Amino acid sequence: MTTNSRAQITLNYALIIACSLIAIYPLVGVVLASLYPSGTSSSPSGFALPPTFAWHNYVAAWDQGKFAASFTTSIIVAAVMVPASVVLSVVAGYAFATMHFRGSKVIFYLFILGLIIPTEATIVPLFYDVRALHLLDTYWALILLEVSGELAFGVFWMRAAFLSAPPSLLEAARIDGASSWQTMRKVMVPFARPAILTLAVLTFADSWNEFFLALVFTVSHTTAPAGLASFSGRYTTNIPLVSAGAVIVAVPILIVFIIFQREFMRGMLTGAVKG
Amino acid sequence: MNAVSSIAGPRFRRALALLALLALVGAACTPGGKTAQVSVPPPPAATGVPDTGPITLTIWDQESGPVGKVWDQLNSEFEAKYTNVTIKRVNRDFGELKTLLKLAISGPHPPDVVEANQGWPDMGQLVKAGLLLPLDNYAKAYGWNERVPATVLAVSSWTPDGKQFGTGNLFGYTSMGEIIGVYYNKQKLSDLGLTIPTTFDEFEQDLAAAKQQGEVPIMFGNNDAFPGIHEYAVIQDQMAPVSTLTDLIFGLQGSTLSFDTPANVQAATTLQEWSQKGYFTPGFGGGGYDTAVANFAKGQGLFMITGNWIVANLGADNRKYGFFLMPPVKAGDPPVSTGGAGFPLAISAGSEHADAAAAYIDWMNSDHASELLVQAGEIPLHTGASSSIVPGTVLADVVNAATAVSEANGVVPYEDWATPTFYDSLTAAIQELMGMRITPQQFVSNVQKDYSDFQKSRA
Amino acid sequence: MSELPAVVASRAVADGGRRRRERLPGEPRRIGYLYIAPAFLLFAAFNLVPLVQGINVSLYNWDGISPATWVGFANYGEFFTSPDIRSGYLHVLILMIFYSFLPIIIGLFLAAVMSRIRIRGLTFFRMLLFLPLVITDVVTAVAWIWIYDATGPLSTTLKAVGLGHFVPSAGWLGDFNTALPAVGVFGMWGQFGFCLILFLAGVMKIPATLYEAARVDGANAVREFFAVTLPGLRYELQVVLVLTVIGTLGTFDEIYVLTAGGPGTSTTVPAYLVWRRAFQTGQVGSAAALGIILMLIIFAVTYGINRLMERGAET
Repeated sequence: MTTNSRAQITLNYALIIACSLIAIYPLVGVVLASLYPSGTSSSPSGFALPPTFAWHNYVAAWDQGKFAASFTTSIIVAAVMVPASVVLSVVAGYAFATMHFRGSKVIFYLFILGLIIPTEATIVPLFYDVRALHLLDTYWALILLEVSGELAFGVFWMRAAFLSAPPSLLEAARIDGASSWQTMRKVMVPFARPAILTLAVLTFADSWNEFFLALVFTVSHTTAPAGLASFSGRYTTNIPLVSAGAVIVAVPILIVFIIFQREFMRGMLTGAVKG
Repeated sequence: MNAVSSIAGPRFRRALALLALLALVGAACTPGGKTAQVSVPPPPAATGVPDTGPITLTIWDQESGPVGKVWDQLNSEFEAKYTNVTIKRVNRDFGELKTLLKLAISGPHPPDVVEANQGWPDMGQLVKAGLLLPLDNYAKAYGWNERVPATVLAVSSWTPDGKQFGTGNLFGYTSMGEIIGVYYNKQKLSDLGLTIPTTFDEFEQDLAAAKQQGEVPIMFGNNDAFPGIHEYAVIQDQMAPVSTLTDLIFGLQGSTLSFDTPANVQAATTLQEWSQKGYFTPGFGGGGYDTAVANFAKGQGLFMITGNWIVANLGADNRKYGFFLMPPVKAGDPPVSTGGAGFPLAISAGSEHADAAAAYIDWMNSDHASELLVQAGEIPLHTGASSSIVPGTVLADVVNAATAVSEANGVVPYEDWATPTFYDSLTAAIQELMGMRITPQQFVSNVQKDYSDFQKSRA
Repeated sequence: MSELPAVVASRAVADGGRRRRERLPGEPRRIGYLYIAPAFLLFAAFNLVPLVQGINVSLYNWDGISPATWVGFANYGEFFTSPDIRSGYLHVLILMIFYSFLPIIIGLFLAAVMSRIRIRGLTFFRMLLFLPLVITDVVTAVAWIWIYDATGPLSTTLKAVGLGHFVPSAGWLGDFNTALPAVGVFGMWGQFGFCLILFLAGVMKIPATLYEAARVDGANAVREFFAVTLPGLRYELQVVLVLTVIGTLGTFDEIYVLTAGGPGTSTTVPAYLVWRRAFQTGQVGSAAALGIILMLIIFAVTYGINRLMERGAET
């Protein structure tokens, strides 16, 4: 066992604090930059407080970046796509974990395949498919594509969660004569509640952060990150204004991250800790 | 085993085999299908918006700044004039519009009127796909043919199959023009003891003198990539014959013309020399175009090589700045410069309100519109242009220069129109040339490769 | 595929894979098809079908609007002949050093140096370290555009300490020599916190007896690292390696926002070329082929890393 010397403890804290500072430096910097007076010649060059706090940048960025519109899109898309993708994943994951049927393994492996197919390999035909469905530049394009993009992961996640249920749970339900659907609703879903919450949080994060699909499939119904990219492309030189836009786009995901921190961490580290 | 390690497994291979089989089946069908050529719509019964109930016109444009504000004004005036019309304006910047236009116009609910860049990359592809309406009968009905010179219509003309540029049907219309030239800071020019150059050599001497006295000779920011095209073009215009450049850009002679010419190498060499000698703003590779314009307007730099559109940023009645065309190599030679028609307005083939859209296009090119647009820095190309231009202002300089080059038949179209990929190839190659990454000969070879690939694909 | 779920996914399957040995309580049930049908149909319609269509499109010369012409594998041939594509892959290889190699090395080093003591407030530090991964690249890129500006903090700091001659006048993203490494450092910043946390957690679960045994054998810190820590982290290493390498190959967002492939073509990457060819320059067949090639490379790399790690485990 390593010696818990005072020096070693100090070193540990010094290192983790240093790393944390590196991780947040650019983020704190962008918040400070967003408060500098807007303009082309006043971009902050250091890590100092602005001379005066230009809160007005946020109002200006919100208006000029048309974030009201892109936030609306992001919210509508997330509100439909998160429940849809979670429900489909739960139901399919449940079947993969508790039932045997011909071809279930091959189908499951097709889902695995989905995990590593890069969007670049499908984006070209997808564009023409979505156009043929008359869905270009609609919420539905984003909703359908995001849900189908999350399913590969969601099905895995839920299958693993249901597999970790003690067999006694299922047997008890069967002895009670519950149908498979009832078993799922009354026994398995309550059991897997934490895993489902984690899935929902991660799915929301993905949906909120979606950029590439919005860039390709939408024009007037663009998402918050795509709106930011367009905004920052227009005002590249006005660093305070663009920074304010960036902060605006980051705030919702930050709030969700802080509230559901445990779920985020579980999602990303569970396997490693348990493994 | 984890998700990724299972990729080696036999079940995964079976899944892959299944997909491969499907691919074979799928390969039987050719993508694209047939494109219907759009026929010329009949002449409208009457000009103006037909009063057949409420009409929503969706307009896509890339105008910003003062010109953008004029558009807003003209749009509301149009709505007031035709009370059954509602205008929905979608406004994106140049780069975004380049990408999004093709997507939007091919969708189920295309915009009615679009501002499409001329040339092979943009309008050419749209025409080829049958996505734009031929405007010939509207042109006749509204008299556009008489209003602007034939050259202005030519750059928006294509054969209906989209295979020939500069001839055939009319697919876009504008009566406003653009010209690239040299803006100068009058005070600085006289402080430095310099005069407006009359030859290319004199211009280079001015640059050297400015540099020597610690002034930034040419204000420039090339982070956005497009400004480099203009810096190269004005030099090239002085070194290569107008007809050669024009034919090359229109692609009229297929692969018999080449970008790899001594004149183009010479122009590239000159541009690289200027860059090497520090004639451009230091760090121009990372500088934004808008910043450069803003700094020039604030008094930084002696010259700025760009288009008429920054008149609005300087202020149309500004007398502190002047504008001249890049002078010819030989004194007294007729002026030559890049420019011509501005962004034309086109009607999408899928528009349900083509007649109303045509009335809108006519309105945006009316004398009244022109009056407002000129004050925002646009150049009228039409007959009976307004006389509201005050002599001695930067606007007057720009309009006079445009008239002079137009009368001398010295207008060269934008080079990035030359092939569908030319904008990307040319901007990247110019960045590399000015960043000393490639030699002038490599520059023309790189660009020529793009050109010859495209000409081969057309043949 | 997005970063967050991919991380979890490989772990999720790992768990699932292990538990497969247990007898499943279910017996053959046709009703299973009904449960998976909605998910599978949607998944297949927008993932598998387009993949098949993509293979088809990649065999044509197509501008996306007019009828296509069959060209066989000519679009794939471009992979070997086009300097654009070659440099795109070269750039992505260089980025891999920053996105994958360096964060792993840094994470391993720190995990080894830091002793296995419970850190008070670890949850809080973990949260800070995760922020770069949680906030989308488009937002964090804005922060880095500011840092890399010619007058930004990086340049100012270097000038203040007398290293001003290193500062490129066009800013770090505008200079041909520094643009790609600058993008790389941005990516490294996004990855290192995750690597560190994963490795720290991994070290914690290595049985203390292994360390004691190593010490009894008289191993020094370096020997201890290679004999105990590194083998103990094999599994974490495999996951991080696969995820970061796949992530790098698919790099798009940060290139789009930070450099648009410039200056010149000094920061183009394969995914960016796919997008540009498909949606800007009308080279749709070629874009499809590039996408398929990218997928095959991702398959091959994933397979290779797995074989490598498994062989490492056997010896």
